[in-house]
Amino acid sequence: MTSLFSSLALVVVCVTTMLIAFYGLRLSRTTSDFYVASRSVKPWWNASAIGGEYLSAASFLGVAGLIMLTGQSGLWFPIGYTAGYLMLLLFVAAPLRRSQAYTIPDFAQIRFEDSKSLRKLTTYLVVVICWLYIVPQMHGAALTLSIATGLPGWVGPVVVAAVVAITVVSGGMRSVTFVQAFQYWFKLASLVIPTIFLLIQVIPEQDTADRLRSLGTQLENISGLNLYETISIILALLFGTLGLPHVLVRFYTNPTGHTARTTTVIVLGLLSAFYLLPTTLGVLGLLYMPWLGSTNETDATVLLLPSAIFDGFLADALTAIVVGGAFAAFLSTTSGLVVSLAGALSQEFFAGTVRGFRISTVLATALPVLIAVVTNSLALAGAIGNVFAFTASTICPLLLLGIWWRSLTAKGAMAGMLVGAVTCGLALMLSSVIPPVDELWFHMMRQPAAWSVPLAFAVMIAVSRSTRRAVPSNTDTVMARLHVPDRGAQL
Amino acid sequence: MSNEQNEQPEQLPGRLASQRPQRIRVQAPQDASLNVPLARPEHNTAQEFYVRQLIRSQLRLAVAVAAGLLAMLVGISALLALWPTAYEFTLLAIPLPWWILGIGMYPLIIIAGVLYNRAAARNEERYRSISRD
Repeated sequence: MTSLFSSLALVVVCVTTMLIAFYGLRLSRTTSDFYVASRSVKPWWNASAIGGEYLSAASFLGVAGLIMLTGQSGLWFPIGYTAGYLMLLLFVAAPLRRSQAYTIPDFAQIRFEDSKSLRKLTTYLVVVICWLYIVPQMHGAALTLSIATGLPGWVGPVVVAAVVAITVVSGGMRSVTFVQAFQYWFKLASLVIPTIFLLIQVIPEQDTADRLRSLGTQLENISGLNLYETISIILALLFGTLGLPHVLVRFYTNPTGHTARTTTVIVLGLLSAFYLLPTTLGVLGLLYMPWLGSTNETDATVLLLPSAIFDGFLADALTAIVVGGAFAAFLSTTSGLVVSLAGALSQEFFAGTVRGFRISTVLATALPVLIAVVTNSLALAGAIGNVFAFTASTICPLLLLGIWWRSLTAKGAMAGMLVGAVTCGLALMLSSVIPPVDELWFHMMRQPAAWSVPLAFAVMIAVSRSTRRAVPSNTDTVMARLHVPDRGAQL
Repeated sequence: MSNEQNEQPEQLPGRLASQRPQRIRVQAPQDASLNVPLARPEHNTAQEFYVRQLIRSQLRLAVAVAAGLLAMLVGISALLALWPTAYEFTLLAIPLPWWILGIGMYPLIIIAGVLYNRAAARNEERYRSISRD
């Protein structure tokens, strides 16, 4: 029965997503429609779309899962995701919108137009980051589908990839903005409804009070992150958000730098409202399904909670709603990433034609499916945390120094990004193959952001200083374009 | 590759068909929009000075807010790690740190965002009023 309802929910979400995309297609007529929705999307729409795009599998399933797995440490992840947005507002939102670049590689080119190699390096990093970010979405899809319907694990990624490829190929960005905005409100509703039902059910129960009393001792048995790891995660999430390609591309759909800022503040509100839900569900998970913490299926907490507390029709219906919402999460984040990834690939290899964009879309979805099917995952939010650490060590210093420091040189930027990518990437890879030990050096490998981000910045600054003569001669003009307020909404 | 520009417009049913715009081949904007002119047409030092001032004031503002945010988050994580007594305070049987981290942080982040937004707009306003050309 659960399987029937959930399958139904899944089909409804996929079909609705595609219908909205086709509706959007009729509105997208010109090149800039196709790429950035004519830069005329209203802040509320845009904010919902950013929320829809940003709230990925890691947020929808992973936050509650991490609370089950690591207790209080799990609470830092949603705080970091939200605070990361604040950092984006502070340092990047308005200048990036004014830069008139479509992608991060475009930004690199605007800042350093003579350096083809910097643009290439940035493109490759964007591609790697997008792929790294899509794979956990696919893992989430595999987990959700196999729990909800019992189908084998590879079906989920294939369904997600197919729907995303069809929506992106047919509509481009304009329709994606519609789809994403819809996804945010849908995701919110699909956690609000079960949460309200669950709370109404459990709050009056005497049983709940008893369980709460034992929560203290239960929490003591959960090993969370230590202080170093917590700080490193905070840094990774705060600085990593700055460099997320699929999030940045959204700012180009704001008409002006000022609306880009308004949008970001609305996003902060939308994210905060959303994160209260997985947090609540995580706590309920600790109370009602404590056994799940010791399995490797903690990410399924949100999916399994309704049937742990209710039974019969209500359990099936609520599970179906959550499954639908989870799929909305995979679809929206993946399509956002695929748009950025396909945009980068097509600019780099297909001269930016729409046909090239379509070929790139297929490439962008196919590879992560393969990776997701042959690997398996534990703790989605943790995997996403690693991607944030990687972006924080590569794209983030490029953007921050590129926007705010006139003495940055192309060589400095490249050196910094390479050092950040290599050290952070190696540390993450090694820590995943070495058996875990409770020593500081291992924690530093597993959560590299606390040292790899400052290192990348330091290298970027030092190399720029030593190649001082290579500062582009148009730096002042570019800086003025980034920071001088737009005159009204003219384009 | 077929050249879509030369194709006959599709014969679409309905009375709106004639109003549909002709199909055009869409392409990513070429480098045109990415090039910022190398030479400065009028070497306006006063203008440049104002821009530098604007950048500096915006950066100072952003760094101040970011430093506050970072200090708050790192401070709280350190406090919770080093002062376990915090867990003895409970509200509805849930330890106080859970309330602080689970709910309390978000309003602070939003408030910081709103305040920053106003201050940044004010900086731009000031720039506009002094640099009016």
